[in-house]
Amino acid sequence: MPTSTASPAPEPTDHASAPRTAALSATGSATASPWPASSRSLGALLRRLRRNAVVMAGCAALAYLLLPNLVVLLFSFNKPAGRFNYAWQTFSTDAWTDPCGVANLCGSLGLSLRIAVLATLLATAFGTVAAFALARYRFRGKSATNALIFLPMAMPEVVMAASLGTLFLNMRIEFGFWTILIAHVMFCLSFVVVAVKARVMSMDPRLEEAARDLYAGPFQTFWRVTLPLAAPGIAAGAMLSFALSFDDFIITQFNAGPSTVTFPMFVWGAAQRGVPVQVNVIGSAMFVLAVAIVLGGQIVASRRKKS
Amino acid sequence: MTITLSGICKTFGDFTAVHPLDLTIPEGSFFALLGASGCGKTTTLRMLAGLEEPTGGTILLGDDDITHLPPHKRPVNTVFQNYALFPHLDIAENVAFGLRRRGVKSVRAQVAEMLDLVQLGGMARRKPRQLSGGQQQRVALARALINRPRVLLLDEPLGALDLKLRRQMQLELKRIQTEVGITFVHVTHDQEEAMTMADSVAVMYRGRVEQLGPPAELYENPRSTFVANFLGTSNLFEAEILSHLSALGPSAEAAGEGEEPVESGTSIVFEAPEGAETPADAGAAEAPEGASAEEAPGETRVQVAGADVTLRLPTSRCAVEGAESVEKGTKILVGVRPEKIALLHPDEADAVPATDNQLTGRIKDAGYLGVSWQYLVETPACSDLTVYEQNVERDTRLTAGADVVLHWRPAHTFALDATQDAAAGEEIL
Repeated sequence: MPTSTASPAPEPTDHASAPRTAALSATGSATASPWPASSRSLGALLRRLRRNAVVMAGCAALAYLLLPNLVVLLFSFNKPAGRFNYAWQTFSTDAWTDPCGVANLCGSLGLSLRIAVLATLLATAFGTVAAFALARYRFRGKSATNALIFLPMAMPEVVMAASLGTLFLNMRIEFGFWTILIAHVMFCLSFVVVAVKARVMSMDPRLEEAARDLYAGPFQTFWRVTLPLAAPGIAAGAMLSFALSFDDFIITQFNAGPSTVTFPMFVWGAAQRGVPVQVNVIGSAMFVLAVAIVLGGQIVASRRKKS
Repeated sequence: MTITLSGICKTFGDFTAVHPLDLTIPEGSFFALLGASGCGKTTTLRMLAGLEEPTGGTILLGDDDITHLPPHKRPVNTVFQNYALFPHLDIAENVAFGLRRRGVKSVRAQVAEMLDLVQLGGMARRKPRQLSGGQQQRVALARALINRPRVLLLDEPLGALDLKLRRQMQLELKRIQTEVGITFVHVTHDQEEAMTMADSVAVMYRGRVEQLGPPAELYENPRSTFVANFLGTSNLFEAEILSHLSALGPSAEAAGEGEEPVESGTSIVFEAPEGAETPADAGAAEAPEGASAEEAPGETRVQVAGADVTLRLPTSRCAVEGAESVEKGTKILVGVRPEKIALLHPDEADAVPATDNQLTGRIKDAGYLGVSWQYLVETPACSDLTVYEQNVERDTRLTAGADVVLHWRPAHTFALDATQDAAAGEEIL
């Protein structure tokens, strides 16, 4: 590889015939370089590549992550010939203009959203309280609780799903909306606890002492200082819960009733017979919405930092 | 507001952080709690703030018992170590926090005024992390002062700053205290900081107040080895009491409040300093001027252990329990500050005043410190006697290996109880 400091012998290149003096004057280099202009610029290019290697690796990783989403987006504009939306036919916006055109699709989406929102609210509330208890207080069985909190994250989903299903069955609870919700709250809870606990542990207890010292009573201290400081952790836990609940399939499948079909279950069922284009539309819309929320948050944060 | 602590103590499990403590902090004073880490000074401050519940005792603020009042109901504010500024609020909101919690509606004028006082007028909309350490420190001060507390507590407020900034802030704090006139209680491990700023200093050691008084008195007349070593440096060596001359001499009154050795009781009541009564050179104030050539009344003679040397000192400067009546032969520790000692070449030994304490020795090491020379002298009394000499017209014969005569005034000598650890308070920072 020709670089400016490598082997001293000039390599023949396309511009080998160019006068050396021209190369020197062109680069303005103090050291008398034997390289003609083109190979020097090649060296510069390599240097630049090397300097940006990390950025390029990052871009490659991003592409790897995003390519499937782009394919889904692309095929949401397809007009499939048969039942299966796997080969590109013609461009069409039919699916986007009529997202609920497939029977039961929007119903299952609504159910999923309802469950996700409720599970997020409940898991975030309980999880935050539990995280504060684990981070702030000493009590009997604390380390056991700490270990058990991790269990739902570590356990294979199928095992948890099956055992929950057995439990509901034995308790003669009718499968349906509520069993799904209970199951979702359960596995979301540990993620919230982990996220909030990490945040609370890193909070300086002196900040709350300062608040108390500055005439804030217990409630005011919590509302004005503790909660705002813990908010990033709580928000992270909530978002994680929503995402996990919305796309959970295995646990839902084991604990759903015959009439409660969530969106992932619908997609799974549809996949057997041929996925309608509308599924791509919903998926893409969710993805774009999530990206928009993240970008919006970043913009607000950076603007706040500037002012 | 005068703060009165009586019998206040704090234990954490088996560990006693603060032993029953009596302390009176007069209104408007700048009071320092000085000690090494873990001595109980911060715990004492936190009990004043209400952040720590005392195990026993009472705290009075003026005439009000605030012992069990929660922190938000005390007219006391704290400047925390590392400032504890609220990261999610801007500077103006940090400063306004206390006012808002008390339901003050229009805070803008007050906040602006307070930010001007600490010279941060243009920073109101910045976030704490955008400020330098010194600026954050001033925000913390403004945030506490805006509430016009009756007492301001400062927990190592300058600890995180570099030396130059610390010096600057020391003067600044002192200026603000004089301006607002409220009582400052300042916790620090930096003896220099305590001495520069405070009207009176309580030196704490292992959960007890070792000694309390104006900085100059603590320095000139330490009553324990910890104080002698922790505040500046001291030469301490063993000796025996030879004789007391008229214990009830004129110095008995000079002994005054300092006379009572701290370890004999925990009751220390400190009177308000009246400014002028704190002379810069308290050595002169403490010792009766012109201890005459003859054996003066109120004088104690001691013999240095293992040497045929007799030293004299005012009996009032003997911090030995029942100093006036101790028997001959009682072991004590004799101390003298390094800068009080003068060095002479043996040829000029005649120049030593007859009343002075005198020792002979040999210089082991001479170090140049710029403003002064530091000598290590081997003497019969002590193998490593430290002497500081001002860097003015130094006798060039005083080099390592030279014989020297050391002398100092009896009034600059002090004696301590020999039962304590002579090295207490050394090598801390």
